[in-house]
Amino acid sequence: MAKVELKNLSIEFGAFKAVDDVNLTVADGEFAVYLGPSGCGKTTTLRAVAGLQEATSGDILFDGQKVNDLSPSARNIAMVFQFVSLYPNLNIRENIIFPLKARGVAKAEIARKLDWVVDIFKLGGELKRYPSALPPGTTQKVALARAVVRDPAVLLLDEPLSAIDEQFREEMRWELGHLQRELGVTTIYVTHDQREAMSLADRIVLMNDSKIVQVADPQSMFFEPNSEFSGQFIGSPSMNFVDLIPMGTGFRLGDSQAILPAEAVPENVRTSKQPIRMGVRPRDLQLIDGAAPIEIELPVEDVFSVGRERFFTFKIGDGIAQGVDVRAEAHGPANSIGIRPEGLKFFDAQTGHRIVTHEAAA
Amino acid sequence: MAAVTQPRSAYLTRWFILALLAAYTFYNLGPILWLLVSSFKGRADLFAMPPVWIFDIDTSGYESVFGVGAAAGTASAYGVVDALINSVVVSSIGTVMAVFLGTLAGYVCSRYDFRGKGDFLFFVLSTRMLPPVAVLVFYHLMFARLGLADTRTGLVLVAIFANVGLATWIMKGFFDGVPKEVEQIAQVNGYSRMYAFIRLVVPMVRGGIAATAGFCFIFAWNEFAFASILTTTKAKTLPVKISAASGATGIEWTQIMSAGVVLIIPVLIFFYLIRKHLLMGMTFGVLGRS
Amino acid sequence: MTVTDQSQQPTATKRRSAATDKKKSSGRMMILGFLSPTLLILIFMVAYPIISLIDYSFYNFSALNPHEGYKWAGLDNYTYLLSDKALWQRFIFTGKFVFVCVSLQMIIGIFVGYQLQKKFKGRDVIFTLLMMPMMLSPVVVGFLWRYMLNSEWGVVNYLISSVGLDKVSWLSQTTPALFAAAAADTWMWTPFIILLATAAFRGIPDTIYEAAEVDGASAAYKFFRLTLPMSAPVLFIALILRLIDSFKQYDLFFALTGGGPGSSTETVSFAVAKTAFNYFYTGEASALAVILLFIIIGLSMILVRHLNKMGDKY
Repeated sequence: MAKVELKNLSIEFGAFKAVDDVNLTVADGEFAVYLGPSGCGKTTTLRAVAGLQEATSGDILFDGQKVNDLSPSARNIAMVFQFVSLYPNLNIRENIIFPLKARGVAKAEIARKLDWVVDIFKLGGELKRYPSALPPGTTQKVALARAVVRDPAVLLLDEPLSAIDEQFREEMRWELGHLQRELGVTTIYVTHDQREAMSLADRIVLMNDSKIVQVADPQSMFFEPNSEFSGQFIGSPSMNFVDLIPMGTGFRLGDSQAILPAEAVPENVRTSKQPIRMGVRPRDLQLIDGAAPIEIELPVEDVFSVGRERFFTFKIGDGIAQGVDVRAEAHGPANSIGIRPEGLKFFDAQTGHRIVTHEAAA
Repeated sequence: MAAVTQPRSAYLTRWFILALLAAYTFYNLGPILWLLVSSFKGRADLFAMPPVWIFDIDTSGYESVFGVGAAAGTASAYGVVDALINSVVVSSIGTVMAVFLGTLAGYVCSRYDFRGKGDFLFFVLSTRMLPPVAVLVFYHLMFARLGLADTRTGLVLVAIFANVGLATWIMKGFFDGVPKEVEQIAQVNGYSRMYAFIRLVVPMVRGGIAATAGFCFIFAWNEFAFASILTTTKAKTLPVKISAASGATGIEWTQIMSAGVVLIIPVLIFFYLIRKHLLMGMTFGVLGRS
Repeated sequence: MTVTDQSQQPTATKRRSAATDKKKSSGRMMILGFLSPTLLILIFMVAYPIISLIDYSFYNFSALNPHEGYKWAGLDNYTYLLSDKALWQRFIFTGKFVFVCVSLQMIIGIFVGYQLQKKFKGRDVIFTLLMMPMMLSPVVVGFLWRYMLNSEWGVVNYLISSVGLDKVSWLSQTTPALFAAAAADTWMWTPFIILLATAAFRGIPDTIYEAAEVDGASAAYKFFRLTLPMSAPVLFIALILRLIDSFKQYDLFFALTGGGPGSSTETVSFAVAKTAFNYFYTGEASALAVILLFIIIGLSMILVRHLNKMGDKY
């Protein structure tokens, strides 16, 4: 087990900065999930931790020891790759014990370890088969078994579930989280799927454009996005954004005619000199039935139900926004929508940074 | 690549590997360079010990090969020109025919399933495996009986048979790379299979046909065993002519070196043209499809 | 399907089957038309000669005077050949030659191929240059090496003596001549192994190596446990092809040693040619050719079975 630290880590490919001055500490036994759109530098960071990618500058430390110059095999890490990387010429049993044999572990120990992981992953029936004969879900299970079989200090997972069927992915995700807690191994997991991140992570590391945007536990990440990007990337459907234009007693919403009453906007935001953008998650919007504290005149365009939830769209000027009314008793389309005031987030329209309101700070 | 500072032993290993690679490169390229250099040496320089690296360029080898210059009309005139013409004629016609037949057979084998296809392909491949001397025992008699001995026609026949198998396999590989939808769309639009083949599919594998031709030409051009047994005077090809320079009176090294260069120049040109398809050509189209 | 349709069904089926019949027959015409020229040539140039060869091998006769006598000899030619010590010598020599040069080619080819799979500046140019020898005429190669291996003024002996070793009479002693021929054949055909090995190695995805690196495998462990087994199917093709080609090698020896010194570097192919065209023991040569053919066919069968398996994969 180990604590992993990244200090001012930068990785460049020619003129392109794939990772730009990243600082992060992953605690011993923590499950950290790197989340971000493709090309944001999350996989590159992971490969640098593994030793498969050279750091241009900055340090990588395991338990305070610099490991920059250590080969992957000397770092005591294990890794599961996005695309299947089982050894096709070896059967499942040989695949699983490969890391032990490569390190010259004694036979009795190998047998003991093999029994242990086979038991965990329920692979008993597959040992004699070859990777090409297994479905992708099972091959990733084997890859995971191969990774944990020798008690690595750090477990690195590069989008391990993305090649698996939706149905099976859910199950694997659950097993993976369970396993990690059981083993207590420091884990860094890379994904672009926010649901994976939300359900697995102790902490999410959100990356965009080669930089870390926000590091937070899933709940805070969802409820307190520190920037427009966090708000927009996390949550489904995506957060709605609209510019606030000061107008008389309130704020006009973008190029629509709807007015947000001034009292809905916190004091420090109201007095800010910067242009303001407001974000609100669809689930903080309601089809109006007289119950909402804030009401805005925006005609609802379309409503459809998915189970208990009612998805609706409405126009703000030229743009389309989306809401989800989660109350089973909600009423039908109307000319205005309701907003839960705690759902309103305000951002500096220029920098994208969250403007911390007094309420939130308190 | 891994970001690791290597221990000393890793550096030593790397240098050792580089040294071995350099040695192999020297072994591989040295003889060809030595052939080129030696072909411009006069008799004295050719046998100098230690070998001379700087010498007066002497083209007497080439002159006697082509029977020009000082060697014009002399008894030592090597008279390679006739053999050269034989080689060009036999290899060209043989190549064109082999590629033509191979294209037809390769297409059918790529597109249709028929009884005995596997056997046919094996039979065709056997031409690549066959030891020439084995069939030569019979050819020798048959050619004499049919009046084909020492004729270009006979050698063309040999060039076709020796290369048609290769051409079939390589072309099958190239046709396999053309999607079947090409013919299906053409047929849906009312064109015949034949039309689709000639007008659509063949133009799509032009590059493959050229590469196949390149291989066939090289093999036909280099062919020695058949030509050496089946020709005596008129139809001698260049490889046979070269081997004839080692006779009872010793070996005419100046001529052999120069004739050798003359023989390999077309090969190198064709080799350069087909270099991208080398893998496919050397494995009957099984590997290296692209 | 409704009831009223049934009355029309037979005609519809008939029409459809007529159409497929027509299609099938046009396909058959195309198969026949496209294959028959090749088939005819191969029957005339391969099947017919081989059958005649087998026939000849049971007769005692000479091509010099074919009219004089086809004397039925039964298995005499074979029993004579198999009890002939000189022939066994040729088989042993051929075997030695095949063993030496194929192992050299495989070892060097796999080594160089493994190094050349990596990308580096100028790799493609070097790679193409290294491929040249296998395209050259074996006769030219034979003479070139004969020139370089000359014991007095050959450049090989010059290089050997310049590092302080004794000169070797390469082509006038049996064992050195074997190695000389192996050196020339290896020179010519190692590039072939490099070509196939590189292709095989490049077919292995990088992630496999990265996974192995993370798993703590040393370079040697990776090579022997992963690289070699994973490229084995392609390397096997290379091996069998080289076995076949070196086993039937003729041209190179013709130019390099001429079978000498004495008849000590005569391969089986060489012996066939000599028996048939120098001594004109046509019957005996046919029997020997049949034996040679069976060995080659055996090797080819292994190859073809393997190719068929590969065909599904590649």
